[in-house]
Amino acid sequence: MKFGKRLKRQIEESLPEWRDKFLSYKDLKKLVRLISTTDASPQAEGEFVSLLDAEVEKFNAFFMEQEEEFVIRQRQELQERIRRAAESLRPSEAGYAAEMGRIRKDIVNFHGEMVLLVNYSSINYTGLAKILKKYDKRTGGLLRLPFIETVLKQPFFTTELISRLVKECEIMMEAVFPAAEEQVERREREALAMAEQSIFRNAVAALITMQELRKGSSTYGHFSLPPLILPDPDLLQSLQIPSPIPIQ
Amino acid sequence: MKKSAVRQFCSMKISGAMSSSLPTLPAPLEENYPKLPDSQQVTMERELSSNRVPPHNSTMTPYRAPYHSNNGVVELLTSSTSKFSADQYYSSVSSHEIHPNNAPFISQSSSDEFSVASSNLPHSGTFQPSSSNFPGECTEATWCPDSVEGILDYSNNIAANNNQIQSSSIVASDELMKQNEWWTDFMNDDWKDILETATETEAKVVPPVGQRSPNLSVHQSAITQSAPSHSGEISAATNPSPAANASAAKPRMRWTPELHEGFVAAVNQLGGSEKATPKGVLKLMKVDGLTIYHVKSHLQKYRTARYGPESSEGTSEKKTSSQEDLSSLDLKTSIDLTEALRLQMEVQKRLHEQLEIQRNLQLRIEEQGRYLQMMFEKQCKTGVDLLQTPATVAQPSHLSSDLTDPAAKKELPEKGQDGSTAGPSNAKIEEESPRPVGEKMKRTDAEANGEAYITDGSEFPHQKRARSHDTKSSSDTSAAN
Repeated sequence: MKFGKRLKRQIEESLPEWRDKFLSYKDLKKLVRLISTTDASPQAEGEFVSLLDAEVEKFNAFFMEQEEEFVIRQRQELQERIRRAAESLRPSEAGYAAEMGRIRKDIVNFHGEMVLLVNYSSINYTGLAKILKKYDKRTGGLLRLPFIETVLKQPFFTTELISRLVKECEIMMEAVFPAAEEQVERREREALAMAEQSIFRNAVAALITMQELRKGSSTYGHFSLPPLILPDPDLLQSLQIPSPIPIQ
Repeated sequence: MKKSAVRQFCSMKISGAMSSSLPTLPAPLEENYPKLPDSQQVTMERELSSNRVPPHNSTMTPYRAPYHSNNGVVELLTSSTSKFSADQYYSSVSSHEIHPNNAPFISQSSSDEFSVASSNLPHSGTFQPSSSNFPGECTEATWCPDSVEGILDYSNNIAANNNQIQSSSIVASDELMKQNEWWTDFMNDDWKDILETATETEAKVVPPVGQRSPNLSVHQSAITQSAPSHSGEISAATNPSPAANASAAKPRMRWTPELHEGFVAAVNQLGGSEKATPKGVLKLMKVDGLTIYHVKSHLQKYRTARYGPESSEGTSEKKTSSQEDLSSLDLKTSIDLTEALRLQMEVQKRLHEQLEIQRNLQLRIEEQGRYLQMMFEKQCKTGVDLLQTPATVAQPSHLSSDLTDPAAKKELPEKGQDGSTAGPSNAKIEEESPRPVGEKMKRTDAEANGEAYITDGSEFPHQKRARSHDTKSSSDTSAAN
């Protein structure tokens, strides 16, 4: 049940248009429960599998659509940046600063959206793995291994392209951003302000969720992931903003 | 799987259409084919190549045999490298995957030239050395750095033709010789043709793919089971699309930056995104497998991105608000904003990093699971023989049924009930007799899983119950060992 709650929270924190694209974990769990009690083996399994396939299809369609848009946008960001840089070459101009600020913001948000897509992929994969595990456990079936095999090859899980775009975006960032000035107090103040922004907020939520998911479970086994180790654990703590919705 | 079959088919069409004018090349080119996701594809690929051969050399058909023998090896390798499918988009096929294919082939071939070529061909990155063997190939060196993703498509496609292609007789090494000679004859002129055509039409071309295309083009006409919706799903430069193939109405295309570049170039050539028509763009791009539907939707997205950035995705709100902020910005505040953005970037980077790590872990876990499954199945076969004699009276029927049919779902409900009894009995067995089995299980580093597999073939249902037995049995066996 913990994953279900975490997934729900993640969905709430996610961008509006993404909300119905996540795994219908709760529904699938209900189905598993139903199957395990009534125990109508072959048909029920077929039904379950077809439902899973539909979910996978949903992920694939959404993922590929987003990917396509990111591909277009990535080129867009590059072009835009180059054009703007060419137009106002003198950094002293006021308009230039504003433009650069806008470009930077766009790039950072673009980066964030792509990372969130990778996170989307990860969360759905985790959900699928969990639901399959539950199914095998409840019904004594052997669905998990072969099914997860097919999932591994699905477009929504093969996120190499997006990761590549993310890295390219980071490189772009290096070029666009001026040298870093370490100002801790200002950072903290800004941190809170930035955390209000939904993409950033979503990313923070995703990191926290991931950390919690991997803290440890009652069914820790050979297929479980190790706990999440962040290089700077304080970062997340300082960024955690009180959620408007009380979470049990 | 259906998906892979469709994928295979699609890639077939793509490569075929790309170089319809090119003559077929001898089967040795098949060596360039990267590792295929499953051995079936390998079989089909070979068959296809041999099918193609008949018009030119009727003795080519026996060529298939060495590949058949490789299938087991191929399968083993592909199953043990889960990373393969993950990498199929970008990385060139890992050389170790190709080598098994080549090795038997080389041993059969008495031609040095061919064996040199095949040993060099496995990796697209290493393709260049082989090109020196063939005069016409020199220009191909430029293709080498390109990623090999298209290769899978092609090989996938070939597999789809399995229905039409009949596997035939056994290969003789002299047949290979003939093929090699024939191939070198074609090399000089045809390679240049291939290169020109390929570079023109493909935004992103893979050398082995280019080589294969002549092979496939001949079969293009032979492919009667062409499903237009399927072919539309895949572009030569992109990755195989998923089961979306099923619906003809909504084929899913996976756009890559390279493909998009080709698209933009075509659009610009036609005078901009407003003037360009999907049909025109489609014609200009000359990418096989690309349908007008794909181009249309992509063009729409492109237009929106270019001329409607204000109405684009959820960032619009932030954008307008930030624009207001920025307009009244003084230098100090802009620095703050930069810092804030930097912080946001840091978090995002961190998240991405962790996601990548997590994904790799997940892949490896599954790989391990597959490996264990395989090992277990192997052990079952040996274990059953060993167990039947020394095993305790009550167990043999239990255990043999468990071991021989780990995947039999019918038995699973029974096993579920028997789990508690099977658990201790299996633990006992592990302690007592199947010494080889137990030892081998230990080697695979997951006793718990091993026992779980013994009980009912899937590790989770009884892992908890078996856990206490595991610790008991593992301590016993470890003490014994």
